[in-house]
Amino acid sequence: MARPAILRGWFLIRRDLPHGRRVLLTVVSFLLPLALWCVVSYVPWIWHPDVKIELSAEREGVTTVFTAGDHVSREFFPEFVEAVRQENAAVLAAREAGTPGSGAKRKNQKLLRQLAPLAVEQGWLDYTDGQNDAVLYHVWRDLATGARTSADPKLTPENLDIVRRNWAVMSALSPDFSYKQLPDEPLLKIVPQGMPANPVYLPAPHEVFRAAKRDFTAEVPTGELTMGQRYRQSLHIIIAGFLWACVVGIPLGILCGVFDFFSKLLEPFVDFFRYMPAPTFSTLLVAVLLAGDAPKVALVFIGTVFQMILVVSKTTRLLDPALLEAAQTLGAKPRQMITKVVIPGILPNLYNDLRILLGWAWTWLVIAELIGVKSGLTEFIETQGRFRNFERVFPVIILIGVTGFVTDQILSWLHGLLFPWAGKSGNFSRAVASFVSWPFRMVAAGARERIAASEMSTPEVRRNEAS
Amino acid sequence: MSTHVELPSYREQAPEVAARFARLQQRPVALEVSGLTKKFETPRGVVTALSDVSFSVHKRELMCVIGPSGCGKSTLVRILAGLETATAGELKVYGEPVSGPGPDRGMVFQGYTLFPWLSVKENVMFGPKMAGKSSFTAEREAREWIDLVGLAKFENSYPHQLSGGMKQRVAIARALANQPRVLFMDEPFGALDAQTRCKMQSYLLDIWKNVDITIVFITHDLDEAVFLSDRILVLDANPGRVAEIVEVPVPRPRSEQQLFDPTFMATRKHIDHMMHPPGQEQKEAPVLRMAVADPDVI
Ligand SMILES: Nc1ncnc2c1ncn2[C@@H]1O[C@H](COP(=O)(O)OP(=O)(O)O)[C@@H](O)[C@H]1O
Ligand SMILES: [Mg+2]
Repeated sequence: MARPAILRGWFLIRRDLPHGRRVLLTVVSFLLPLALWCVVSYVPWIWHPDVKIELSAEREGVTTVFTAGDHVSREFFPEFVEAVRQENAAVLAAREAGTPGSGAKRKNQKLLRQLAPLAVEQGWLDYTDGQNDAVLYHVWRDLATGARTSADPKLTPENLDIVRRNWAVMSALSPDFSYKQLPDEPLLKIVPQGMPANPVYLPAPHEVFRAAKRDFTAEVPTGELTMGQRYRQSLHIIIAGFLWACVVGIPLGILCGVFDFFSKLLEPFVDFFRYMPAPTFSTLLVAVLLAGDAPKVALVFIGTVFQMILVVSKTTRLLDPALLEAAQTLGAKPRQMITKVVIPGILPNLYNDLRILLGWAWTWLVIAELIGVKSGLTEFIETQGRFRNFERVFPVIILIGVTGFVTDQILSWLHGLLFPWAGKSGNFSRAVASFVSWPFRMVAAGARERIAASEMSTPEVRRNEAS
Repeated sequence: MSTHVELPSYREQAPEVAARFARLQQRPVALEVSGLTKKFETPRGVVTALSDVSFSVHKRELMCVIGPSGCGKSTLVRILAGLETATAGELKVYGEPVSGPGPDRGMVFQGYTLFPWLSVKENVMFGPKMAGKSSFTAEREAREWIDLVGLAKFENSYPHQLSGGMKQRVAIARALANQPRVLFMDEPFGALDAQTRCKMQSYLLDIWKNVDITIVFITHDLDEAVFLSDRILVLDANPGRVAEIVEVPVPRPRSEQQLFDPTFMATRKHIDHMMHPPGQEQKEAPVLRMAVADPDVI
C-alpha cells in the first residue's frame, strides 16, 4: 500500500531533507521542549507533586509559617487545611457557647492580612504594600458585600462565608480600619487555598514569563542594578576577555602553525596549562588584580586563550601546503607567504574556530562573575536561586542562551557574507555582499579607468612570432 | 588475432621534422640537469627516488617526462621547481645554477592550487604583485593572460565556481603571468575527464605557440606525451633513471587527426614497450577465463 507523499522521504540515510522540511523541523525542535514544558506545567494530573499556596494561614502553636507562593507537598496540604478548620470550629464553638475568647486584636490584624496576596494578585494592592491595613479592611468589606469579587484566586464558598462572618463582626465596630476598633474576640481564619503545582525548580511558563517581564522592566532601588545594566556588565566582561584572548591567541596560534620552532617552543606548555582549570586561578587572580572587572576579564582570557592558541595553530597547519608551494613558485617571500597566503587562507576556518571559542567563553563568564565581588547576570541568578525564586532565574538563563545562540547565528550568517569564496554562502548572503560592496567597486573601477588613461606604457608580455 | 600493420621505426624522421630538430639543437639550453639524485630517508630505510638523472631542454621546447606511477616524476619536477632539494646533482637555467623556488620557474600542479579566496583575476595578478608591480599594472597584465586562456568572462569569478578545465587554465595563466623562463607542469590534466583533457592539450599547444616559454610536462599518459612533445624523456622506475629520450617524429602543427598517423603510432608503441616490456604484462594482467567458449561473444 502506497503511503501519502507527505509521509515519504523523512528518513533517508545520509540524505538532506528539502528546504521546507528542514525549516519545519528547526521550528519543531524549539516548539517540542516548549510544548513539553507546557504539558507538564498545565495538565494538572501530570506530575504536580506539590500544592502552591495561594492563601495561607498561621496555625496556633506551630512555628512553621507558610506564605502565599510557598510550596507544600500534596500529602501535607489537607492536614494543613484541616488544622485551620479545627481552629475555626473551636472559635465558633466558643462563640456559640457565649464564651468568646478575648485579647485577639493583634492576631486579628494579622488575620486581616491573610487576604493581602489575593489583593495583590487582583491589583488592588501593590506587592510592596502588603501591610496596608486600611486598604485591606475595605477589601474585606467589598468581598463580603459583593462589591468586589476575586476571580483569580477565586475564594472558595467556605472562605467567602468566613469573609462574610468576619465582616459582620468587624463592621459592627468600625467601617474603616483602626487598630483600636478591631474586634477583641478571635475572628475566623481564612482556610488555606492552593493549586496543584510542580516543584519550585520547575515554574510554569507563564510564571517565568511574568517574572521576566517584571525583572526586565522593573525600576530598582538606587545602588542596585537593572537587568539591562547587569546584561551590559556581563557582555563587557566576555567581550573584553575574548578580545584579549584573540589579540594574544591568534598571532601566537598562527606563528605555531607556520613555524615548527614556535610550535615546539610553546605548544607543549600551552597544552599542559590548559588542563589546569581556569577557575582554580580565581583566588590568585583576585589577589593579583584585586576586585572589579579585571580578575573576571582575566579569567575569561585564561579560559579561552590556551585553547585558542592550539586550535588556531591546528587550523593553520590544515591549510593546504600545496597553496604555499604554489605561492613560492610565483615568487612569494616567506613574509608574503604568511600575509598573502596563510592568513587569508585560514580566515574562514579561523572565523569558525572563534565562533566555537566564543561559545566556551560564556561558560567562563558565568564562573568569572562569581569570583571576587559577584556581578552581572550571574549575581542575579545566584541571589534569586538562593531564595528559590526559580521563576526569576530561568529568564536570565534563557537570556544568556538566546544571546549566545543569536550571536552565533549572526556570525554564521556573516561567514557567508565575509567569505563568499568559501562557496558555502547562499544566494541571499551573496546578494547582500554584492550590494554592500557596490560603492567600493564603483570607486575602484573609476580609479582604475583614470590610472589606465594616465599610464601610457603597454604591458611587457613577451609574445612570440610563430616559430 | 591482431592485424599487423607495418609501422615505420620511430627513428625515421621526415625531412622537415629532422630540420626542425636540427634548429632546436641550435637554440640556447633553457634547462640543464646533470647528475640529479634524490634519496628519501624513510622509517623503512633509504628510498632512491631518482638516480643520476641528466638531460637538457632547449629554449621553447616542449618536453614531456613519462614513466610509470611512482618512478619519481613528481620528485623530479619538484626539485626542478625548487620545492625539494636534490641529494646530489646540479640544475642550471640558461646557464645559471639555481636552488630554491623562484619566479623564473613556473609550476602548474595537478591539484590546481588556485587561491580560493582570490578571484580569477586576482589569482593571475598574484605573481606580478609579488614581483612588486603596482596593482594597476598587474591587473592589466592579468587581463591579457586571462584573455589568452579564454576566460575573460570569468575574471571576477572565484575558483569554486569554475570547472576543472577552467581552473587549470587559470593556473596556467597564473604561472605564465610571472613570465617564467621554464614552466613545469605535473600531470596538469590528470584529474580531468577524457574530453576536457583533449581540449586542454590543444589549448596548451595554442598557448605555447603564442608565448615564449619552455615547457617540461609530466604525464603518465602515452597519447598525451606523444601529442604534445618535441622530445619525450622516459623514466625507469626503482630507482628513477633516464631510460631514453625520444625525439617525436610527428610533424607540427599537431592535430587530433595525427593520433592515427603511422609516425604517431610507432612512437607510441615504442614507448609503450619500454614502459611495459612484453612478457611482463601477461604476468601482471588479470586473466579472465571463460567457462564456455562462446563463438558469438568473440
Ligand atoms: N616525501 C617523501 N618521503 C619518502 N618517499 C617519498 C617522498 N616523496 C616521494 N617518495 C617516494 O619517491 C618515489 C617517487 O615518487 P613520485 O615522485 O611521487 O612518483 P610519481 O610522481 O612518478 O608517481 C615513490 O616511491 C615515493 O614513495
Ligand atoms: Mg606524481
